[in-house]
Amino acid sequence: MDIDPLLEITGLTKNFGGVVALAQVDLRVMPGQIASLIGPNGAGKTTLFNCVTGLMAPTTGKISFQQQDIFGTSAHQVAMNGIARTFQNIRLFSEMTVLDNVRIGCHTQSRGYLWAAISRNRAYREEELQITTDAQELLQFVNLENFATQIAGNLSYGDQRRLEIARALATNPKLLLLDEPAAGMNPQETNDLIALIRSIRERNITVFLIEHDMKLVMRISEWITVLNYGQKISQGPPEVVQSDPRVIEAYLGQSAGSNH
Amino acid sequence: MISMSSILSSRSGLILFFLCLVPLATAYLDQGDYLLRICSTAYLYMLLALGLNVVTGFTGLLDLGYVGFYLIGGYTAGLLMARLGWSYWAALPVAAIHGGLWGLLRGAPTLRLTGDYFAIVTFGFSELLFRIVKNEEWLIGGPNGFVNDIPAPTLFGYELWQYWQQYYHILILLILTLLVVYRLHNSRIGRAWQAISQDEEAAQTMGINLHEYKSLAFAISAAIGAIGGAFFAQFQVNISAGVFEFWESILILCMIVLGGIGTLKGALIGAAILGSLGEVLRISLSWMRLPADSRYLIFGAILVMMMRFRPAGILRSTQKSP
Amino acid sequence: MTLFLEQIVNGLVLGGIYALIAVGYTMVYGVIQLINFAHGEIFMFGAYFTFLCLAVLKFPLWLAVLASILLCALMGVVIDLIAYRPLRNAPRLSALITAIGISLILQNLARMIWGAEPRRDLANAKSAFLSQTVIIPGGAQLSYLDLSIIILAILLMVGLNRLISLTRIGKAMRACAQDKMAASLMGIDTNRVIGATFAIGSALGAVAGIMVGMRETIEPTMGYYKGVAAFAAAVLGGIGNITGAMLGGVVLGIAEVLGAGYISSGYRVAISYILMILVIVFRPAGLLGRASAKRA
Ligand SMILES: Nc1ncnc2c1ncn2[C@@H]1O[C@H](COP(=O)(O)OP(=O)(O)O)[C@@H](O)[C@H]1O
Ligand SMILES: [Mg+2]
Repeated sequence: MDIDPLLEITGLTKNFGGVVALAQVDLRVMPGQIASLIGPNGAGKTTLFNCVTGLMAPTTGKISFQQQDIFGTSAHQVAMNGIARTFQNIRLFSEMTVLDNVRIGCHTQSRGYLWAAISRNRAYREEELQITTDAQELLQFVNLENFATQIAGNLSYGDQRRLEIARALATNPKLLLLDEPAAGMNPQETNDLIALIRSIRERNITVFLIEHDMKLVMRISEWITVLNYGQKISQGPPEVVQSDPRVIEAYLGQSAGSNH
Repeated sequence: MISMSSILSSRSGLILFFLCLVPLATAYLDQGDYLLRICSTAYLYMLLALGLNVVTGFTGLLDLGYVGFYLIGGYTAGLLMARLGWSYWAALPVAAIHGGLWGLLRGAPTLRLTGDYFAIVTFGFSELLFRIVKNEEWLIGGPNGFVNDIPAPTLFGYELWQYWQQYYHILILLILTLLVVYRLHNSRIGRAWQAISQDEEAAQTMGINLHEYKSLAFAISAAIGAIGGAFFAQFQVNISAGVFEFWESILILCMIVLGGIGTLKGALIGAAILGSLGEVLRISLSWMRLPADSRYLIFGAILVMMMRFRPAGILRSTQKSP
Repeated sequence: MTLFLEQIVNGLVLGGIYALIAVGYTMVYGVIQLINFAHGEIFMFGAYFTFLCLAVLKFPLWLAVLASILLCALMGVVIDLIAYRPLRNAPRLSALITAIGISLILQNLARMIWGAEPRRDLANAKSAFLSQTVIIPGGAQLSYLDLSIIILAILLMVGLNRLISLTRIGKAMRACAQDKMAASLMGIDTNRVIGATFAIGSALGAVAGIMVGMRETIEPTMGYYKGVAAFAAAVLGGIGNITGAMLGGVVLGIAEVLGAGYISSGYRVAISYILMILVIVFRPAGLLGRASAKRA
């Protein structure tokens, strides 16, 4: 392979007391890809995102982003490096306006500090203008431009999910991690989401998503990694993963388990 | 330079205009000086409420010892002026910086911990300071922790000791503080604080350095408290430990709760009401033959009732979404 | 040597009292993650209720003590019911501020009803038996009251430990402390468990209040001063950790008496603040704490 992976995880392990949430996971995301991470509930998918984004300290392993070691880097530094994410249970700044949510995302893109903010000098005013323009552009991108002045917590569920994506995009990431972006969406919204994810990729942003909606995953992913009980059990293009007996067993096992 | 019209909407400008006229009106009243003193005290509380609001309102951390910085500012300026003969204009910024440094130090151990620990440390810190100024006579000077004979500030050779001068003095300090806090609140820094107060982890994934932005809030809030203390020192001429008891912190907290935590208008209105009501209560309570301290019962009731029925302050009825 | 021994014994008595109050803070924190600032005031009311029963209702001492303990338990439950429960889903700051408010109300209510001056009524009402002293080995004098405080504190602590580890309600409390959501899914009525926690904590606080009333004086600020120290003891032991609170109480009691004796009596109250801050700086989970102090 000629190109270097954008994100490369080797031997990643995360323990919670006695629970092994991730066990020696190896995984790669190539630049420009739309890649997916799937697996039954409790497989460790969200934990993997948390470890990559610095919200949790991994137990052992190696995480590199653009050939740079980011293991144990603090969350804000990870964001500065170019990894953005959304959350499985939406975590917007729900008492702030829609526009301000996205403007906070522009934090990584701006410098203005104490003196600039107090004196409101020219550089500061230009930067604020730039932030607002960028934020409005992103709201347009996710079709929320008409909601800019609303309180984020009052948006509908699907709109909140898209706002969270806009907020993440505002950090100007190279890699976007989406944790179950289609959860709770109706088929129409899901279709729109697929289009949105594809247009994100067109902005030269690599997308790595966790999703339970198998139709969606199979339609847009170029590469899929499967976790079960914290272990990687399969990986490959959709066709390969779909017919992998271990994957089928993992999913069957889950539905059998949840029935009793 | 700063253009006032850009900061203050016309209504605020009008209010300011009338506030500037107050001393002209009181000059014709019998009790004019007394009224000016009440106004100045209310402005001082408004300044303190703005400062407390930076931490408790903007970043959402409960500060139970804000009076500690008031104390640091008061004693720093008081000692520099009364013992070392410093000019007020030199003592004021030094007091502010001194306060700000302690704000940083006080917050540092709690940066990695949950908000509850912040509340505990703030409480312990201010109580400790209170004990120190009560006990350390060598440090504070006279008996019973008094710093007395703090000279009046001078400006162009004039001593600023009259009530109308003090009135303008604190009004200017208040407006400058309001300007700084308002601009910070509506900036990238203010947005970062707001994000932190709503969801620390989500804020971090936006690239916001929690430790840095919390520390910034700690320092600014503390510096404002210390500025209030420095003003207070020359306003009172004598300062003693008794002013800086725990309940004073609670009073200031009560002000921002009453007006609505996290908003500048709320801090100002809450402080204006309770800051001037304090005097009214003192008089009316003694008239009802109740101890002056029983006004704290009312403050307690305000805290409980506001949190239960009007968490966003007396002005806003909107219930915050959880 | 005798003096030192006497101080150690004094510290133990004080420590026992702190431990009794501290478990109230720590139990409530364990189940609802709230620093119940009003707990110190319940402790204070424990003393005043006893005084009230003795002076006004002319109850015999044992009945006055019992009535006061029950009243305080009820008071704890009612405070939770009307003040804290409506805020369970509100931001943390709201409940904390409410707790401060309740504490202010209760303290000033006591001041309005009974006045600010310290009362010796309880100290005078204790039976002649309790005022006698024994000489313990080493030459130190120990009053029967202090002796019974130590013994009673130990008995109550052992009893509480049994209650928490063996009874149904104790197990339910531990379940709630671990994960309230899971506990309620398992059919535990979490509101009842929280109520029980307030009742037990408040009852123990009342016992401590009566002890202090007999040993020293009753005054409206006693809840504030002793409450803060006991809270420091809870932090010392690791807030949320019951055994820790007991240990913290004893450590603090001894530290306070020795500090006042050998350093400066002006800093007697400050010792608890200093220890509390030191623990938070160097060992935030407390002497015995869980790692819960760290953010997840
Ligand atoms: N903060 C945590 N503390 C303890 N255990 C956790 C924590 N987060 C996740 N786990 C455990 O790790 C495992 C994987 O969880 P998670 O990554 O959320 O799964 P998924 O996202 O694949 O559904 C689960 O067993 C879960 O209970
Ligand atoms: Mg998940």
